[in-house]
Amino acid sequence: MTQYAFHFDGTRCTGCKTCEMSCKDYKDTDLGIAYRKVYEVTLGDTKKADDGTFTTTCVSYPLSMACNHCDNPACTKVCPTGAMHKDGETGIVSVDADKCIGCGYCHMACPYNAPKVDREKGHSVKCDGCAERVAKGEKPVCVEACPARALDFGTVDEMKKTGEQANIAPLPDKSYTDPNFYIKPSEDAKPAGDAAAKVVNPLEVM
Amino acid sequence: MEITFAEMPLALFSTLAPMGAGAFVILAIAFLTAKLDGDALKKIDRFTVIPVAFVVVGFIAAFFHLANPFAAFGSLANVGSSPLSNEVAVGCAFTLLMLAYWIWALTGKMSEGVRKGFATVVAVVGIVFAFFTGMAYMIDTIPSWNTMAGPVQLVGFALLGGAALGVLVLSLAGCGDALKAGSLKTGTLVVLAVGLVLGIGAFAVQATTASSIENALYNGADLVTSVMMIIVCGIICLVGTGVCDVFAVRGAGAGVMVGVSVGAAVLAIVGILLMRLAFYAMQVSVGLSIL
Repeated sequence: MTQYAFHFDGTRCTGCKTCEMSCKDYKDTDLGIAYRKVYEVTLGDTKKADDGTFTTTCVSYPLSMACNHCDNPACTKVCPTGAMHKDGETGIVSVDADKCIGCGYCHMACPYNAPKVDREKGHSVKCDGCAERVAKGEKPVCVEACPARALDFGTVDEMKKTGEQANIAPLPDKSYTDPNFYIKPSEDAKPAGDAAAKVVNPLEVM
Repeated sequence: MEITFAEMPLALFSTLAPMGAGAFVILAIAFLTAKLDGDALKKIDRFTVIPVAFVVVGFIAAFFHLANPFAAFGSLANVGSSPLSNEVAVGCAFTLLMLAYWIWALTGKMSEGVRKGFATVVAVVGIVFAFFTGMAYMIDTIPSWNTMAGPVQLVGFALLGGAALGVLVLSLAGCGDALKAGSLKTGTLVVLAVGLVLGIGAFAVQATTASSIENALYNGADLVTSVMMIIVCGIICLVGTGVCDVFAVRGAGAGVMVGVSVGAAVLAIVGILLMRLAFYAMQVSVGLSIL
């Protein structure tokens, strides 16, 4: 089996969301459904001193993320029908639309906000790593669309060389699902699990 | 708050179905301890339609939660690994047992011994079903739910709400005198008390757990605060259920007994539903997940 993985370079990403839009365009997703999302992560505060001057520790950094096609996916574990499954050849996690009942358990359990129930379609939907493009030797459309070359996709052995495994906030500790997501953090990025880092665009991404 | 009410189908399911299941605990205690003549049993069997309807309506409500309800039976595919499959399997087993018991009882051909045994089995499986309904939310990526306090509170609500329904069935069947005497009275009071303590106690433990968790989207303590009024109203209704039913089994005259029992059942529905809605609002993931 060749397990595939995504790479995100936090030192290059500008938060332009071209990845998100290219995915929406390629997959032709409806309003409210996006397989890749850019999380705006913010922390710190600004204080006023007695002499009237201000000091701030505020920082903000973007995180572009789709499904991490985990080795131990939370979504497949809770799925009652087996519709959510991990491909034996590529490790890609995807939905069998014919089996899915749209109960939303995968959406509830996934700590990476990947699957979502599309009530119009009557089943869960999510990133499938552009499996048909990958089969032709191409990269997923989000990777190719990124103007800053902040995204990459390849075998897990290749991606491991590009960064650490899902190691920045707002992501949870990698031990929950063993995600195939390797990150080069920006200077301001906080470690995974640090609740001080808040997602400030929840209406857009959740 | 919006998120809370979006889960109404699941909240209705987890309110009504366990309540219906819990009613069989009181019926089983009645068959085991009280002397009921054939006419009384006939009436009890007729009014058992109430808890049966609660279970059936609960399952129908759950179907409205699904985006593709026509494929619902596929949810049994992952029994053993998916907590939802386990819940559905136990729920189906309970419903089939309950219907078999009820239909057999309605024929009037069920012997006293079989009735006692069968009703007890239905009651026990019903409580197991309530427990599995709570277990369905024990997911390791949602620490505010991943606690035994979830299944325990469901068992508590099933006992309390079930006791209210059971008392209603017996009142409507004209078994008020049996309900007010001996072991049936004691048993009903114990079920009410245990249900109230388990339901509210386990809910409090779970809310405390949720309050201590924070993620990148929200603070668990803020979530609990945002539904505090719902929780307070829910607890008032649940205590009200207990008070009404204590009054019903300890001294209500025949005339008011049915009215008091109806009041207890209505308070139980409202109270448990409010607690279930608050439960769904207390989802705190280890990462990025909201309902």
